[in-house]
Amino acid sequence: MAREAKKKKSTKLIALSTTNKAYEFKNPLEKKIKYQGEQVEIKLHEDPDGFSYIVWKNKKYMLDVIEKNQNRYTIMINGVWHSFTVETPISLKRRRFLEEQGESSSIVVIEAPMPGKIIDILVEEGSEIKEGEPIIILEAMKMQNEISSHVTGIVKSVEVKKNDSVMKDDVLIEIQKGSTSTSS
Amino acid sequence: MKIKSLLIAKRGEIAIRIIRTARKMGIRSYVIKTIKEPNAWYLEEADEIIDFSEWFDDNLPEFLDIERIIGSVKKHKVDAIHPGYGFLAENPDFARRCEEEKIIFIGPSHDAIYRMGNKTIAIDLARKNNVPLLGGSPGTLANAEEARKIANEIGYPVILKAAAGGGGRGMRVVEKEKDLERMFTLATNEAEKAFNNPDLFLERFVREPRHIEFQILADQHGNVVHLGERECSIQRKHQKLLEESPSPALDRKLRNKMGEAAINIAKSVNYYSAGTVEFLLDADKSFTFMEMNTRIQVEHPVTEMVTGIDLIEQMILIAEGKKLAFTQEEIKLNGWAIEWRINAEDVQSGFSPSLGTIEKISWSENEHVRVDTGVRDGSVITPYYDSMIAKLIVHAETREKALQQSSLAIRKFWIKGTKTTLSFCRAVLQNSNFRKGKFNTSFLSKELKIHYQAEPDEVMLAAFFATYDYARGIHQFEEKPLQIEKSKKIAPWILNKRLR
Repeated sequence: MAREAKKKKSTKLIALSTTNKAYEFKNPLEKKIKYQGEQVEIKLHEDPDGFSYIVWKNKKYMLDVIEKNQNRYTIMINGVWHSFTVETPISLKRRRFLEEQGESSSIVVIEAPMPGKIIDILVEEGSEIKEGEPIIILEAMKMQNEISSHVTGIVKSVEVKKNDSVMKDDVLIEIQKGSTSTSS
Repeated sequence: MKIKSLLIAKRGEIAIRIIRTARKMGIRSYVIKTIKEPNAWYLEEADEIIDFSEWFDDNLPEFLDIERIIGSVKKHKVDAIHPGYGFLAENPDFARRCEEEKIIFIGPSHDAIYRMGNKTIAIDLARKNNVPLLGGSPGTLANAEEARKIANEIGYPVILKAAAGGGGRGMRVVEKEKDLERMFTLATNEAEKAFNNPDLFLERFVREPRHIEFQILADQHGNVVHLGERECSIQRKHQKLLEESPSPALDRKLRNKMGEAAINIAKSVNYYSAGTVEFLLDADKSFTFMEMNTRIQVEHPVTEMVTGIDLIEQMILIAEGKKLAFTQEEIKLNGWAIEWRINAEDVQSGFSPSLGTIEKISWSENEHVRVDTGVRDGSVITPYYDSMIAKLIVHAETREKALQQSSLAIRKFWIKGTKTTLSFCRAVLQNSNFRKGKFNTSFLSKELKIHYQAEPDEVMLAAFFATYDYARGIHQFEEKPLQIEKSKKIAPWILNKRLR
């Protein structure tokens, strides 16, 4: 039967953290995990209108999916968030392969760390900047914040103008990574 | 004159806080409705709503529109205005306009607001009253060049502050001469924006002081008392994150000495109403005057918990012209109180604002716990106002017990929908130097390396939940592809948004 065939399919899923740590679960829907060599049951309580929580070692852990975009997840647990991509064994293999290929990309994007208004832009296209140098002044929640570059390089493009309103993660500036002495 | 009605020129938790006291005193409360928060909770708590939502001006926010507020108060024949904190609370023109229109301003005189609001005048008054000072520019700075000269005389680091400032805005620490000009520009711009006044002054910067403030109550008959101190050293970029009363750094002798200095500052401007005198306390226990805030403060509840005095009630009684009903000797500090500020901020991304809808909020209250909040299920954290969700105030017999009760209360405080500073509160509670009471304003930058607290198995459990949710999504899709929309429960406020 078709149903049986489906069951035989691998149900293994891997949550890959932002630090590239892989958490493997054989079949998440069974709510069992391997912990210190043993199969342990996860007591998951789901309240569709309210809070979901896991009881683990007699402690309550409040859970919430705060962002979900295809296989990209951000989970809040007891007030701390963690981001993962959920992978199957096959997709993980492909991902690792692609990562090895793509190491050489040298464009770095500076994004708005919070929503706000652009007060001043301290660089222009072609400017040479050093790591830690301020590039933009962003006003958010009535404070002026200096946004600085975390790389050394040359400004490839400026994507915002003075007085623009930006959302969190909007692209502000693109930087061509590298030593700044390579002017032509 | 007995106040029979008052308008609260403010939103959020403090509006609700003032409404409750007004109701207790038999006073009718009026609030202002804005288009930015048409469904806010404070509107429902008030007796009357004055609707400002039909027209609005981006350049003049509703709570700053002096003439419109005064006009509404006259039209509705309201006796008094309570400004809360922020907005018009420390605007001398607003207090003056109230005085001119014979509206009772529940706060100090416009003259006291002006003189304490202008930091250079305030510092001069402190000097004349022999209150210890930091040293710095004699008045406002003409330009960056003058700042450079003075900084070179008194030595780096120095701090640039807005003359009309407060609340950490228009304030920059300058470590080296080469940064001075850039910081001067930043601070000037911020001061101009925030206070409509670009003037700056400069002071010697004490590197690792404690921030200690004294609560003052003064009536219109010359009686001034202090209600003990608040410890506000745990800050991020001059924004307070938690406050306690009393402070672990003070003993009775130092408390009396600083309290007396605070009273002298208040007396120098014939102050009346509730006010707060801020000091820096150095490691050697020497203290210097920083500024006086001529309003009720966010952290006032910790003082209320240890003194048992309702500060809003006192402000109203003082505004009515009543004498203080207690002397300094009769004020007793009872136990220990801590206020945890729960903000909609992403601690893991440098405390950046985390806007959104509070889908669900709950806490457990008991004799140790007080929660002041302006939000409930479905409230929206907008970019127009500050990011505060709630103040969790814990009171117990000793500091140790207050910390224990705090751990419990924070664990039972649940918020769904936005990122919050609760994880930061847990991290602070875990820190051994904080528990010992050994900390100063450098706590966040030096002592607390990780600003949020994650327990050992949390990442693993979160990873499990991500895979579980993903697997369930696939399972649902394979089993019953047509049922997906149906099975999703849509919260009413989200539906509301979609329909609009």
